Amino acid sequence: MYQYDAIDKTIVSERVSQFRDQVRRHLAGELSAAELQPLRLRNGLYMQIHAHMLRVSIPYGLLNSAQMRTLAHIARKYDRGYGHFTTRQNIQYNWPELADVPDILEDLSEVEMHAMQTSGNCIRNISSDQYAGVATDEIIDPRPYCEIIRQWSTLHPEFYWLPRKFKIAVTGATTDRAAVQFHDIGLEVVKSAAGEIGFKVYVGGGLGRTPVVGKVIKEFLPRDDILSYCESILRVYNLHGRRDNKYKARIKILVNAMGIDAFREQVEADWAHFKDGELKLHDTDFETMKAFFPQPAYEDLEDGDVRIDQWLQLDTKFADWYHNNTVEHRQPGYRIVNVSLKEHGVAPGDATDEQMDAIADIAEDYSFGEIRVTHEQNLVLSDVRQQDLLEVWKALDAARLATANIGSVNDMICCPGLDFCSLANATSIPIAKQINETFNDFQELYDIGEVKIKMSGCMNACGHHHVGHIGILGVDKKGEEWYQLTVGGDASNAAELGTRMGPAIAKDNVGKAVRDILDVYRDSREGEERLLDTFRRVGIEPFKERVYAEENS
Amino acid sequence: MSTANRAIKAKPEALPDFLSEDLNNSKVVRLSGVDSNSMQHLAPGEALTLASLPAGEISVPLEFWLENKEELLNREARVALQLAGKEQAEDIVEQLNDIDMVVLTFVNFVDGRSYSDAYKLRTRLGFSGEIRAVGDVHFDQLGFLARVGVDAFELSDDEDHEYALKAFKEFSEVYQPSADGKPLIFSRRRVVH
Repeated sequence: MYQYDAIDKTIVSERVSQFRDQVRRHLAGELSAAELQPLRLRNGLYMQIHAHMLRVSIPYGLLNSAQMRTLAHIARKYDRGYGHFTTRQNIQYNWPELADVPDILEDLSEVEMHAMQTSGNCIRNISSDQYAGVATDEIIDPRPYCEIIRQWSTLHPEFYWLPRKFKIAVTGATTDRAAVQFHDIGLEVVKSAAGEIGFKVYVGGGLGRTPVVGKVIKEFLPRDDILSYCESILRVYNLHGRRDNKYKARIKILVNAMGIDAFREQVEADWAHFKDGELKLHDTDFETMKAFFPQPAYEDLEDGDVRIDQWLQLDTKFADWYHNNTVEHRQPGYRIVNVSLKEHGVAPGDATDEQMDAIADIAEDYSFGEIRVTHEQNLVLSDVRQQDLLEVWKALDAARLATANIGSVNDMICCPGLDFCSLANATSIPIAKQINETFNDFQELYDIGEVKIKMSGCMNACGHHHVGHIGILGVDKKGEEWYQLTVGGDASNAAELGTRMGPAIAKDNVGKAVRDILDVYRDSREGEERLLDTFRRVGIEPFKERVYAEENS
Repeated sequence: MSTANRAIKAKPEALPDFLSEDLNNSKVVRLSGVDSNSMQHLAPGEALTLASLPAGEISVPLEFWLENKEELLNREARVALQLAGKEQAEDIVEQLNDIDMVVLTFVNFVDGRSYSDAYKLRTRLGFSGEIRAVGDVHFDQLGFLARVGVDAFELSDDEDHEYALKAFKEFSEVYQPSADGKPLIFSRRRVVH
């Protein structure tokens, strides 16, 4: 993975000093709470219902064991013994004291981590494919590009006070696991017929109050030009994006208002001024960066280890875990292991300090000391030898990290909701619990198969509900929590927003409504159809009829 | 994508960035140190007329400048041109030969439009005079404003101006070029490799 040089270290350490001084001036009464607010936000520090919340950046979701141990240390020393992995592949802590935050940042800087631009109206953490470098369908490893963009966007002086937050995602595979069409800028690696590497550039996608699928602004952008082209998009947005209404300030609103063609014209006109200037990247830049992401030192192995068949037959729990939580690897003899953070009774995405330490150890022993965070709020050990799977499963199980439910109804994306967040209208975590209690038979879960349930406690959509196969949105009706359901959303290549079921559902009935939806699916599915496929074939009506049947009878 | 991209009836409008009242700060921070200031920045409005202009150095809104350019050019004391967030750097291209100072008016420091204007004035429009930030300008904005090409800053008189000089030294390294001519981080690393 990328390693800081002296320049990176200087910048991060000077940023810690800058923030320390800002906190000092605030505590000394020189900087009011209102003045501090946008400054602390740009370092990931929010004020929530009960306390401050610190969001730490995990660039494109990649961590090493030492970094994971530092995250555990922070949970233990400065927080309440746990952290929450987010849908943008970051981690947040719910209970830090303001006065401690500079020390937390200093501890982070020692393992080349920071909280820069994890919040505020600036360019946020770059997100990417959690299987980067190991996926079977990868065209190009996106991580070097992510790191190049990360460095360019860090403390960019011109784009630090944008109309609203700005999110960039990069994918290098044929299956889009980074939801690039739902980002302010989405970059999809393409190889031209001549073998030249470039990007298809999407702009103005996003979820939130106004979900929009990104539009193609450029079919093929040579890779040398990614920084200057992103800069032109940002400049047009910075100058023309709305600033009078924060709900209409994202770039998607500007692109829709101008029309993609007029927007493109502005971007291209700006770009023409400097496209071959200082921001132009050279082949050596990519080569240098690529060297930070070498293929691990794989052993020369083969697939089809007979021991695995034996283990699968001997232990059904191992078999369930193997089939649900591990994924094919492109290197023979290896497998990708998903670490479930969706244990029943635990808030989705939460991990304790002990669990983080355990994962760090397991990664060190069995997966080249690297861990990835997924936008579905799980972790990944990307390079496990097939012959080690039994040991890895035992070690994960001992740390309660082997719940065999990846991709299932249990594997929900869930925002913190009204339990923590000051924006929320309704709780999310208790709904996740309710759904888990409704579906506590794992064999039934496996029969249902892949269902992506995504849940947000308000229309800001941190839980990506618009693109859930089943989406759940918490709304407030006269002080009561109600839930709006959608079916058929999809964040991958066939990007689609979910279709609304009908009137919102009372809090106690959400689990039952999800059961109704899945019953209709099981009754109507054909062949190997997933819920999403059945929905695309039969439409919303059969689901609606069942969910609202009792009310209508 | 039937449900996506539903029609959005929104105009890309941003708030104006005009001064709401005249500004008269006693000091100006420069990259080199703190100087005394005598320039008054005049807010637009009916009260602003040629007859009402105070003596001494002034800055005026773009519209007022365009209406009264000839008279203003005949004044002995220096006249600078204000550029509000809503106005574009390109709007003043034809004025740049007649002035030696552009004043960026910040109504709210979280509004970053003027950063792009300063960048364009320096890197594309060839303006080498003074670019001064006034209005809602504070210590924590100075470092980045300096990078995009602003070289003078008026903080309100109750701020610590000497301390503010520290803002230019908070970062000794940067990742990207801007109007300050710093190289892209990767071009520096090219030299090493």
